[in-house]
Amino acid sequence: MPQLTYLEAIRQGIWEEMEKDPTVFCLGEDIGIYGGAFKVTDGFIDRFGPERVIDTPIAESAIVGAAFGASLTGMRPVAEFQFMDFIACAMNQISNMVAKTHYLWGAPAPLVLRGPSGGYVHGGPFHSQNPEMWFVHNPGLKVICPATPYDAKGLMKAAIRDNNPCIFLEHKYLYRRIKEEVPPDDYIVPLGKARIARAGRDLSIITYAALVHTALEAAGALSKEGIEIEILDLRTLAPLDQEAIVQTVRKTSKVIVLHEHSRTGGIAGEIAAIINERAFDDLDGPILRITGLDSAVPFSPPQEHHYLPQVADVIEQARKLKSY
Amino acid sequence: MSNHRNKPSPNGKRQHKSSTRTYSIPDYRLEVPDYIVRQVRSGDEFRYEVEGDLNTPVPPIRDSNYLSKQQCIEIYRYMLLNRRMETALENLYKQGKVVGGVYFGLGQEACSCASAYALDKDDWFAPMIRNQGSLLVRGFRASDTMMQYMAKAGSPTKGRDGTSHFGDIEKRNMVSPISMLGDLIPVLSGVALGARLQGRNIAVMTYIGDGGQSTGVTYEGINFAAVQNLGLVLFIESNLWAYSTPSEMQYQVKDLAERAIGYGIPGVIIDGTDACQVYDAAREAVERAHGGEGPTLIEAKMMRMKGHAIHDAADYVPKPLFDYWKKRDPITRFENYLVREKKWLSAKENADLIAEVERVIEEEREIAVNSPMPTPESAEGGVYCEDGCHVIKPKYGLPKVRTTKSSAGPKQTEAAVHLK
Repeated sequence: MPQLTYLEAIRQGIWEEMEKDPTVFCLGEDIGIYGGAFKVTDGFIDRFGPERVIDTPIAESAIVGAAFGASLTGMRPVAEFQFMDFIACAMNQISNMVAKTHYLWGAPAPLVLRGPSGGYVHGGPFHSQNPEMWFVHNPGLKVICPATPYDAKGLMKAAIRDNNPCIFLEHKYLYRRIKEEVPPDDYIVPLGKARIARAGRDLSIITYAALVHTALEAAGALSKEGIEIEILDLRTLAPLDQEAIVQTVRKTSKVIVLHEHSRTGGIAGEIAAIINERAFDDLDGPILRITGLDSAVPFSPPQEHHYLPQVADVIEQARKLKSY
Repeated sequence: MSNHRNKPSPNGKRQHKSSTRTYSIPDYRLEVPDYIVRQVRSGDEFRYEVEGDLNTPVPPIRDSNYLSKQQCIEIYRYMLLNRRMETALENLYKQGKVVGGVYFGLGQEACSCASAYALDKDDWFAPMIRNQGSLLVRGFRASDTMMQYMAKAGSPTKGRDGTSHFGDIEKRNMVSPISMLGDLIPVLSGVALGARLQGRNIAVMTYIGDGGQSTGVTYEGINFAAVQNLGLVLFIESNLWAYSTPSEMQYQVKDLAERAIGYGIPGVIIDGTDACQVYDAAREAVERAHGGEGPTLIEAKMMRMKGHAIHDAADYVPKPLFDYWKKRDPITRFENYLVREKKWLSAKENADLIAEVERVIEEEREIAVNSPMPTPESAEGGVYCEDGCHVIKPKYGLPKVRTTKSSAGPKQTEAAVHLK
């Protein structure tokens, strides 16, 4: 089985869907001859032509609007954002037009809005954000945050086939850093199903995307101390796999929620509330949060390092919770 | 183009050489109003004042190059339906049967009805809040809009939204508007893009006001349609007032149709109270769209003859301006044209037509009033399109896929953006 990077797996997922389904097409800034800022769509224009690989003006609202309009005619557009930070420019289209459309007037909007998000690359405040919560709080959207090449391909294919608007956040730190065997087959990873990235008995870390790897590294170190961590990779934040959250709490009784985005109003608060409602009696300690700070993501490496959760933070908090 | 730069002249001084380009914006109006609205201080208060010649004679209707007698009468009937429906809504509001406000298209019925009338069956449209007449032309019933205003279970959105905020992607090809202005423009452009990928050049019509065109997404949407050469037919309804702000405070160009030059697309000016001018401009734009010739911007000049919504008495509007435009009422003028000038309708036929329209509106009103309110629980569900709720398929046929020689997979190049 071929080894693919996270980026190559995403590329393969889109490519396969375009080969299979002529209603799938791509649009975005610099995605054609240039192949996209991160080269996710490199070579697509040569294979599928400029009709299906459309270079757009720098106009995020127009990109989302056009994708949505095309989806109303039965197309399945895949729109790239050069950085997910810039998706803010299209927020009205996404929040008020796209997300509400099925609930209000019964029109499905099968489209994918994808692009790189996340920090650890010194991208500065406008190229490092994790905007997933902006969308989680907009009912009607699906929010997808893969952690592995296998999942990235399978979730991308599922997102393209889904009849709902999907926000697909590709963690740019992972693009070319991780590699694994990815089947060249036509498979999907269903949306809304979390996975156990590591089984353990002592405490659970609930996380997703790049921080799955941070948690795995911490778990490896803690294992030597006899602390066995279970890691739940959420895969999608909307829909959220509540069952999987409840099950891991029942198993370990101790929970850390780990995410990159700012602490206040983050997914950790929501997960803590779900555990409170559904598994309070199973808890044997406080639910801990390890998160980004309540500020913009700073540029300078020492500052960014301080802002973002690190392996050492996870180890420290896990030890603390284990001994509670 | 290469001669655009200033070259030094032999005596060492820079020679300022320029070329002048001219662009034409056809203006089909038979009258060009000559007045301006300004903010003036009056005692302790500021108010709006109109200055200019407001005593000019009412212009005639311009004969259509395309419409038959029968088609003119049909458009006239839709305009009557449009107005009577809004009168019925005003009465329902006064009876306490409307949830929220009522928005009127009074004075704009020619623009709503004659524009939508120019579309073919496979074309798409999206109305703005005042284009309730467009909905009637495209086959929605007056009771649909009435039930929306009354938040009834039988409304197209089953109570979930009001006013003209509904759509139909199956039969009538309508995108539901949202309250934010300008966002429909890229969406309609995308509809045309989707259809073109399926092998069809369709026309996609939407509207924006002289206020709404100030938004950034308006620029993004028109520019997208322009560079992609999509069949957008955009009506700028210059109705002089954006809520309480006059157009003088909304933009600096003389006419908004001039913006077309900046987009690189054709722009025309018409009298929005003249149904024939509206239809002809719309039809020509629709035919350009069908021919794959790209977008058209049509500026329709008229005035919003009521407040922003029913709560707003519009007492900020100088009264002489109301008087001026009342004489240019689109229905009265079209009625005169059909009955007196063309003699296409006898007085009796006209009276019968009006009576028939009133009967229809009364029946529609009954249907709307008798629809139940939705159950509280019907607020739930439908957030996502679940399995089996819709089958997604291309509306105009499966896109033809270009076959290229390149059978290789995607390229494996290095990242262009180097982040550590």
